[in-house]
Amino acid sequence: MLSLINQNLQAPLNDPITGFLNRTDCFDAVAQLASRATSERPLSIVWIALDRIKQINESFGHQGGDVVIFQIASRLRNKSGTDALWFRMAGDEFVCLSPVGNSELAHQFASTLLNEIQAPLPLNNLLLHPSASLGVAILETDETPSACLERADRAMNSAKRAGGGRVESSSPEAIPGRWGVHLAHHELQIENQLHLAIGQGGLCLHYQPCVDNEGRISSVEALMRCTSHPLSPNEFIPIAEKTGLIIRLGEWSLLEGARFAKRLAASGQHTTVSINVSRAQFSAQNFPQTLHAALLCADVNPGLIELELTESLFMDNSSTVQTNLRATLDAGIKIAIDDFGTGYSCLATLKDISAGKIKIDRAFVVALPHDRRALSVVRSIARLGEDLGMLVVAEGVESQDQVDSLLDAGVHIIQGYIHARPMPEESLLAWLMNRKNT
Amino acid sequence: MTPPYSTVESQLESSLYKIGIPPRPAILDRIHAEMQKDEPDFKQLSDIISADVALSASLISITNSPYFGLRGHVHSTREAMMVLGLNITSKAIAGIAMRHAFPQSPHLERFWDASARIARLSGWLAQRITKLSADDAYTFGLFRDCGIPILLSHFPEYTGILKEANHDAARSFTDIEDIVLPTNHAVVGYVLAQNWWLSDETILSIRHHHNADILSTPAIPPSMNSRQMIAIAQLAEHLLQQHSGLSITQEWVKLGSACLHLLRLAEDDIKKLLAEAIPVIEAEN
Repeated sequence: MLSLINQNLQAPLNDPITGFLNRTDCFDAVAQLASRATSERPLSIVWIALDRIKQINESFGHQGGDVVIFQIASRLRNKSGTDALWFRMAGDEFVCLSPVGNSELAHQFASTLLNEIQAPLPLNNLLLHPSASLGVAILETDETPSACLERADRAMNSAKRAGGGRVESSSPEAIPGRWGVHLAHHELQIENQLHLAIGQGGLCLHYQPCVDNEGRISSVEALMRCTSHPLSPNEFIPIAEKTGLIIRLGEWSLLEGARFAKRLAASGQHTTVSINVSRAQFSAQNFPQTLHAALLCADVNPGLIELELTESLFMDNSSTVQTNLRATLDAGIKIAIDDFGTGYSCLATLKDISAGKIKIDRAFVVALPHDRRALSVVRSIARLGEDLGMLVVAEGVESQDQVDSLLDAGVHIIQGYIHARPMPEESLLAWLMNRKNT
Repeated sequence: MTPPYSTVESQLESSLYKIGIPPRPAILDRIHAEMQKDEPDFKQLSDIISADVALSASLISITNSPYFGLRGHVHSTREAMMVLGLNITSKAIAGIAMRHAFPQSPHLERFWDASARIARLSGWLAQRITKLSADDAYTFGLFRDCGIPILLSHFPEYTGILKEANHDAARSFTDIEDIVLPTNHAVVGYVLAQNWWLSDETILSIRHHHNADILSTPAIPPSMNSRQMIAIAQLAEHLLQQHSGLSITQEWVKLGSACLHLLRLAEDDIKKLLAEAIPVIEAEN
């Protein structure tokens, strides 16, 4: 089909360096395809932008740049076979149309092209390592080829923004994510952004202080934030949990949080740092090994670390979870039960848990001070904690009225905007210093 | 002897540096930030790198090493960055900075030299016999055993454990560590590499690099690239030991056949590869 279009193009003026068709030809070819039924036109579009051609031109002159482009174009043509149609869209941008209707195959095809581009290329006695950003789009039912071309362009730009040297696929439908889990389109976008953020080191921890009923800082909770992409934790944490990425993020934050505890201690603040550990991470057999590895890398006193585990984990009788609970306590690390009150705690089991802290779920706190039933629950949890020798924390506290009713109900520690929002390390250090001085 | 590493050292948080913890250096964050821009400013980046004489000397030397380019042709940081590209530059700098993030200790010199030799030969082998990128194989070679100095600094008995693991031709290296320690060097290296934001494939390769089951079973994860990366570094170590005539470890006895299978090589190919690799092995970096 594509070869037919090639013949139909009016006296194609091939680009002298690459031998490819030009930009106008590309739009013509796409317009011709629009007149055919979708089922007859499986089509994938790969939009390629070479990275660093400008710098190559600067260093080796335009002739050098042309040699590079010529060689890369030859490699691409040889690799792509006769079914593919090639166009040079701009100095350093090419488009390839090929009759591939399967998104996985199209992605594979684009990855092969990237490998070809990245093979070392000799120039003036040097071996250059060219690279490129590639965007792939598959023509969808009811989609116009020009819309598909636009998607390939956008995907290429996204690959470029991610640092280049990669293939980005654009897809409007739910397709398996990188970890094989089926995700809706917007979830897939979040997953991709999360992968990019991880690749670029675009995550950091913010810290929120917890203040006890005598005004002392009892601990700070480490909370994950994305700095490289506009993703809120409410968006990316559920996707990370769904895809399994949460284990990677959790392992990273374990060391990052432990390092912060060490820095705090070195600055004279022997404050506990609470780190959230997901169910998936804590249920892994090798959790104790990673925990010890993080402690060694951070070289921190384990007594300064607290792990926040969700309520439901404590009810898990699997031998791995129980072994991991023991290993955590044996390592000298404290344990807190997070989001308490909304899970399925069996009070009989609670007596056997060696957690030192209960954190009341914010759902009860937001209803205070007016909701009497919520207050009764809070009061009961506080009494239970007291009797079991656990500290009781209320999180999500925003007003003084809430603080008053919580302290009155027997809660020991307050965490929330009323004291401070989660903040970057430097701001927290300044906040702590400021508080010390006043 | 490596010159003093003043700028990178000052970029490391000083309190951490004193107690010997290797955090990710700020210069990598600056390179990554620049890479995210549509038009990365090469001049600014090369100025940052050039400001540190030792860092830029190491970068130029890596660029001129046999597997990245032709020896002796690059003379400035800017040229090195041009030849390598930003991605590879940042990986090369991660490798250089990693070694210097650890406290300089005379008895670790040989360890780091061995890692650097494995890394260089891995880079060359990656290009010679696989489609893996040379810089990924190089980075993996450098980071593969970075858990060892951390364990050495925490457990006095680790020297003995290392000796035992190196001489054991039957049990897995990490199994021997696991008997005595709460963790092993592969997991420590893995956790550290995550903190440096190395690629997923490199991180998983570090975690599983002594795992014969992973190498011989096409399980996912880790990916084929990860497994090949492990095999390349093992082969590099084996070739280096063949060349020197010293068999310091028993890893090839345990993992060699799986590595050859992964790399689609026959036992006979090793001699030929060694002959070709000699200039790379003997090249002074």
